[in-house]
Amino acid sequence: MGLFLLGIPLIAVLLFLIIKENKIQHAISVVTSILLILIAVYLTREVMLFGIVEYSSFGGFFYIDSLSIIVLDIVLVIGFVASVYSIQYMNHEIMHEKIKPKGLRTYYILLYSFIFTMVLALSVKNMGIMWIAIEATTLSSAFLVGFYNNKQSLEAAWKYIIVCSVGIAIALLGITLLHLSSIGVLESRQFLSWTALFDNAGSLKSSIVRLAFIFILIGFGTKAGLAPMHTWLPDAHSQAPSPISALLSGVLLNSAMYGIIRAVAIVNRNLGSSVFTGRLLMGLGILSILTAAVFILTQKDYKRLLAYSSIEHMGIIAVAIGIFSPLSVFGALFHMINHSLTKSMLFLSSGNILQKYNTKQISKITGLLKVLPVSGLAFLIGLFAITGTPPFSIFSSELSIIVSIFQANHLFLGIVVVILLAIVFAGFAVTLFKIFYRKTDEDIPEPGEANIPGTFCIIALLIVITVTGIFMPEGVKNLLNQAQSIITGGLA
Amino acid sequence: MRSLVYISVQLSVILLVAPLVNGIIGKVKALSQKRKGAPFLQMYFDILKLLKKNSVVSDTSSWVFKAAPYIFFSSATAAALLVPVSTTIMLQGLPGDAIMLISVFALGRFFMMAAALDTGSTFGGMGSSREAMISSLIEPSILVSIFTIGLICKSTSLPKIMIAMMGFGFPLANSVFILTFFALLIIIIAETSRIPVDDPSTHLELTMVHEAMLLEYSGRHLALMEYGAAVKQLVFITLLVNVLIPTDQLISIAGVGAVAISLVFYLIKVIFISLLIAVIEVNTVKYRVFSIPNLAALAFILAFIGFLQYFVFGGIYV
Amino acid sequence: MSDFSNTLSTLILLSAVLLMACKRTKSYIKSFRLQSFLIALAAGVMGTGNMLKDGQFELIVVCLITIILKVILIPNILIKTEAKVEHKVEKDFILNIPILVIICCVLIVFIYASISNIEGLNEGSVNLQMVNSISIILIGLLFMISRKKAIGQIIGFLVIENGLFVTAMFVTNGMPFVVDMGILIDLLTAVIIMGVMVFKINDKFDSINIDKLRNLKG
Repeated sequence: MGLFLLGIPLIAVLLFLIIKENKIQHAISVVTSILLILIAVYLTREVMLFGIVEYSSFGGFFYIDSLSIIVLDIVLVIGFVASVYSIQYMNHEIMHEKIKPKGLRTYYILLYSFIFTMVLALSVKNMGIMWIAIEATTLSSAFLVGFYNNKQSLEAAWKYIIVCSVGIAIALLGITLLHLSSIGVLESRQFLSWTALFDNAGSLKSSIVRLAFIFILIGFGTKAGLAPMHTWLPDAHSQAPSPISALLSGVLLNSAMYGIIRAVAIVNRNLGSSVFTGRLLMGLGILSILTAAVFILTQKDYKRLLAYSSIEHMGIIAVAIGIFSPLSVFGALFHMINHSLTKSMLFLSSGNILQKYNTKQISKITGLLKVLPVSGLAFLIGLFAITGTPPFSIFSSELSIIVSIFQANHLFLGIVVVILLAIVFAGFAVTLFKIFYRKTDEDIPEPGEANIPGTFCIIALLIVITVTGIFMPEGVKNLLNQAQSIITGGLA
Repeated sequence: MRSLVYISVQLSVILLVAPLVNGIIGKVKALSQKRKGAPFLQMYFDILKLLKKNSVVSDTSSWVFKAAPYIFFSSATAAALLVPVSTTIMLQGLPGDAIMLISVFALGRFFMMAAALDTGSTFGGMGSSREAMISSLIEPSILVSIFTIGLICKSTSLPKIMIAMMGFGFPLANSVFILTFFALLIIIIAETSRIPVDDPSTHLELTMVHEAMLLEYSGRHLALMEYGAAVKQLVFITLLVNVLIPTDQLISIAGVGAVAISLVFYLIKVIFISLLIAVIEVNTVKYRVFSIPNLAALAFILAFIGFLQYFVFGGIYV
Repeated sequence: MSDFSNTLSTLILLSAVLLMACKRTKSYIKSFRLQSFLIALAAGVMGTGNMLKDGQFELIVVCLITIILKVILIPNILIKTEAKVEHKVEKDFILNIPILVIICCVLIVFIYASISNIEGLNEGSVNLQMVNSISIILIGLLFMISRKKAIGQIIGFLVIENGLFVTAMFVTNGMPFVVDMGILIDLLTAVIIMGVMVFKINDKFDSINIDKLRNLKG
């Protein structure tokens, strides 16, 4: 049954190749994403009951445990939201001649290949296949980033494909070294299997494992947007169409971080302590937050602003994984969920703003609440939410992470993180003032929401992030705890 | 007494075979262009012809101009005595090793450059400056290659190197020696003024290096310079061939027979390398002068990687 | 046998350096072809060795597919892309070629110094293979950043992937078969996508000089 998770996107892609009617394509897309969510629900229930879902067909490559299911659920929920939003968004673009009508077919084919590769990356236990899937996500999203075919998006797409491919190649070197360290220890059919590596982690050769980790961190860190490898991120996320930006920011960064987390689990188990990985992760994390803070203060383009905020949040997650205490890992996983939902909501509402105002410059957005009452309000609330204002969910996860930093006696680090988060908030506050407290010009676009289904999605996401900020359902908490114990594997 | 005989045999072999190499290269180039070309022995006839002619010397030149051909030729011949043509007629007790070889060539080259400047013509100055640039870029590669081989064979004296290499069986199967082979090949092309570094048959100002330095010479001076260049070329080829493709272990006879057979092998190897150089000449074009550093850098890194491999492998080559 | 694989790995390193010394786009593609051919040869040699020993013929299949993909298909795609786009010779460099070649030397020494300090990687043959392979990866990276034409960047990426393949092959006797196949298919797709993108960039920007792609800042 879980294998349908992989089969359905493929069937969707095939259908898109055959069917050329735009309306039917929209329908297929929504139906596919609903089916995927149903399967996700089913798998989540299985994981909550049994802990692991593993099928032995095709050589036993399908494997989902609680860590995978968390990230997988995020992928599929945001995939659903993005596909619902895309309907009106794409129709609007075709109407205003920004893309050709045939472009919709390309869009959907690439979108569902993208979702397929991400799902594949999250549901295998062979690290080699995971690597191949993550490289494939770069390839399938390259043309999505460059979808508008103008100078800026081509530049963004080129940077994206080159930087991410090189980064991923470095990660492959790390995986090869990991393989090398396990040569005497594992038998041939278990090579590169995460479960086998994790179970036998104690007997791998430490020196090679350390070297492997550095390469994997740099490689997957490029894909996850950690500084100083983040240079592709602002361009790619701001030039892509808005639903794609939501997917890239909310989902792809998580998948790359998932790869890092899998590697960290093995390495920490092998070395017996988290000092080595911790230092590297905390260093990169702080650097990311710092870079993001600096660039957020002087940002003029609101989509780039959101992209830099993604870098900041990935930095926070990296720091949390670096600390590696049960509370911090729990906070990191919770933060992944919250960041994805909040950021997608922000990108979708920014898509509505872009379609109304036709500009990405902050200085040209005036009278937002009059023109787009719902999306504008959602955008405003979202900007508060993303910087960690209570009662939204990001506040709770950031709080747990900061508490765990201080609990682990990293006082200086904790103070630096808090100061940097304050600077980020200041940067966002400046943007907020610019958008919402300026005198309205006379020539504002005509008021009214254009994308009704999309707006409903935005409201739904908004409700979710408010609710999870206050109250966490028991099942979710259990799942997060399970995942956290898998990762830390008993190391405190 | 014996050694004197052997030395004279070595010297005469090199002096006699040197112009033949030029002949082979010229013939192959001509055949590739579907011409009949000059006969193999053409250079002998050229040298004899030049020796009979008058030598015209400019009034504005000094003793350097007149002395340079003799110094150049003697340095080339001295170098010929340092590189063994075959170990069965090896030189015992001649003071000099590979580093002496390079210095001797440097002496000859210096005088050639100085003499070209001496005449005061612009062609000479241009040729000297280009020759200085090329040779200074190629020197590091020669040194690194020779040091690598010397480190592996634990001596820089060429006969001892040859004997040590014979103990390796077929050295060209080893990565270090393949790299050194290619580095030495590029060095030969640069030092003996072959395409792609320099075109020996051109008389265009843009492309002259060696020719520019010889432009003012005539008669017996020119004969000596050309002959010296041919001897230098053969000495380099001998260095490459005898060090990296040693065949002396195939000889199991002793005495004069051994000498004769080893000379035959030597000739075959020399002919093979001349064919290789000719094929390279036919298939490439002359590089721009400012692209020659690229070639030199390539030769350097070839030699350097070979050197590094020796370190990585360490004592395997004992 | 191991001597032969040592020689081959040195020759592969050599072809990477040869690539660095080239100025013309066609030479880039030719050197890449030479390098892929040598790698396929090494894979074939190791594969026959494996087959005679264990009866596993995975490496031979990989060798054949490498020849088809990297020696024939991918260079042809690149030649076609390069024919439609203007430039043939790179004229301005940030650093000129001899300095780049010297930097390659420095890189190789640096890798040797670093790897010798890691136990598990510094005995004899493994050491040489690791040094050579990781040097190829770094030389590919250096090539990528030193060339201003987009085709140079694609070739740099391909050399990096070649280096990874060589590392996996020599040091761990090849990655598992499925992984190897997946990597090769990924590579082919990547080259096709990058080729199409170069074409589009040439269309919009009228040149494939990376310097022109600097509009998005901040």
